[in-house]
Amino acid sequence: MSGDAFLAVEGLHAGYGDARVLHGVDLTVGRGEICAILGPNGAGKTTLLRALSGMIRVRGDVRLDGTGLARRSPDALARQGVAHVPEGRGTFMPLTVEENLRLGAFVRRGRGAVGADLDRVCAYFPVLRTRLKQVAGSLSGGEQQMLAIGRALMLRPRLLLLDEPSLGLAPLVTEELFRIVRAVNEEERTTVVVVEQNAHLALGVAQQAHVLESGRIVLSGSAERIRADEQVARSYLGYRV
Amino acid sequence: MSGRAEVTEKPVRADAPGRGRALARIAAGRRRWIVAAALLAVACSLPFQLVPFRVFQFTMVLVYAVALLGLNLLVGHAGQISLGHGAFFAVGAYGTAIMLDRWDVPHVLTLPAAAATAFALGLALGLPAMRLRGLYLALVTLAIAIFLVPLLKRFESVTGGSMGLTLGKPAPPAWTGLAEDQWLYFLALAVAVAAFLLARGLLHSRVGRALHAVRDNEAAAEVMGVRLSFYKTLAFAWSAMFAGAAGSVYTWVIGFVSPDSFAVTLSITLLAGIVVGGLGSFSGPLLGGLFVMFVPGISQDVNDAAPGVIFGLLIITVMYVAPTGLAGLAGRVARSTKKILRKE
Ligand SMILES: Nc1ncnc2c1ncn2[C@@H]1O[C@H](COP(=O)(O)OP(=O)(O)O)[C@@H](O)[C@H]1O
Ligand SMILES: [Mg+2]
Repeated sequence: MSGDAFLAVEGLHAGYGDARVLHGVDLTVGRGEICAILGPNGAGKTTLLRALSGMIRVRGDVRLDGTGLARRSPDALARQGVAHVPEGRGTFMPLTVEENLRLGAFVRRGRGAVGADLDRVCAYFPVLRTRLKQVAGSLSGGEQQMLAIGRALMLRPRLLLLDEPSLGLAPLVTEELFRIVRAVNEEERTTVVVVEQNAHLALGVAQQAHVLESGRIVLSGSAERIRADEQVARSYLGYRV
Repeated sequence: MSGRAEVTEKPVRADAPGRGRALARIAAGRRRWIVAAALLAVACSLPFQLVPFRVFQFTMVLVYAVALLGLNLLVGHAGQISLGHGAFFAVGAYGTAIMLDRWDVPHVLTLPAAAATAFALGLALGLPAMRLRGLYLALVTLAIAIFLVPLLKRFESVTGGSMGLTLGKPAPPAWTGLAEDQWLYFLALAVAVAAFLLARGLLHSRVGRALHAVRDNEAAAEVMGVRLSFYKTLAFAWSAMFAGAAGSVYTWVIGFVSPDSFAVTLSITLLAGIVVGGLGSFSGPLLGGLFVMFVPGISQDVNDAAPGVIFGLLIITVMYVAPTGLAGLAGRVARSTKKILRKE
């Protein structure tokens, strides 16, 4: 399976100073797949994404399409096409929506291409087009999350990392977001790793899912299987899916 | 800080039709140019209206404004602190003084050389310093300012030690028909306008966006691929460059440098100046320049025994009345006046 994996993580250890959080995570994600990472609060889901985008130091092996990515700097990873939508969205509040979006393409050169990508992103999120000159801090929570995802898409990512996009949003808004993520995945063949507390939603769009607990993957399988397994739902997710 | 200011400064009505908004934006842009042109016209007439001593004071306002443009870049736009800005000002001032004193370099050439020296020094010192944050960064930059004065006294043969150096001022060319004070004023004005345009260009570039991103959300900026230490160091070097240019003009204007003019208080006064003037705003450095020039003197007049106390109280008052600085206050006043006018 790891032979044709697009993203292959092996024996990944990471943490913050003396606090170790990930204790040898192994997982693979196929090309063009959506993969959900589930698990309780504090399991290390955010830490895993930070490790994948180079924000924290890691031990272990990370390969994207065969290229070793572990221990590279965040800007090197951005250049490799890894886009990370951080927990809490990371909006640049005083900047305009357009400035936020352009920052998403920061490591890319060529004005023309970036301009075309502004259009492409606004086609996914029409509401952003009407707000381009507006200060990002004035957007609603849902719009800010759209902006965060749109900004990540400005990189034309090969791997899109989403950290709890549903956090603090109304169910309707969240559904809309996941529908768009799905559309991006289908139209651009972007591989997506999405961390979610809302297992039901995530399993609805993902093909594969991994359950993380205390820094270890305790369960992996197809989204359907995990959704079907009520026992799994009770013991690992703490609630019924 | 400035973030809030900008959010409140530009309330955008989402329901306004796109075209109307675009027109409004063009109108606002044109209005800004008209204001700038008017300001420039006033600035140009100033030396013909005032007595030479006042002209000198406004020349110094411009000099400080150039230094504050740099500090604004670092503190207001990149979100880093510096308690050592005065040291780079001193580097520019002394660099110019030494060039004039030792090698008779023409005045015009001393400025780019001083600015380049300050930039290089800013890069060298910023490289390690910008890996630090908050309090640590404040301390390291403060240390730079503290070490400077003894250093200048130590290398007496070059710097003139405690006695300082006395230098010739640039003479007004005959064709201008200007007096010396007026000529110096116009030189400072030209440098200030050039510095303003340069800062504006920097901030509107891709690099300016990177600085704002670093200021507003370091973690998010980092995942976008903005190399934090690189851009912070660059901002530090730029801010040093502006300070160096300002220091150079300072030497032209004063014709004298001595170590005690560049003590730690200068750095602290400059930081107070930009915070009071308005961080991250374009008029902040000018308002801050007025503050740095006039407020210490006013405090001295109010209470000769403890000018520091009065100075401190004034800063606290301004920050209390106008948490976004004088620039923010001016914006608020302008908006409420407009509202009142519209109602009538
Ligand atoms: N910046 C940090 N510094 C130190 N410890 C952290 C930091 N962020 C998270 N942690 C710790 O790491 C563990 C995993 O956190 P996290 O990855 O955020 O979990 P999750 O996203 O699954 O809720 C928690 O125990 C948390 O306290
Ligand atoms: Mg988390």
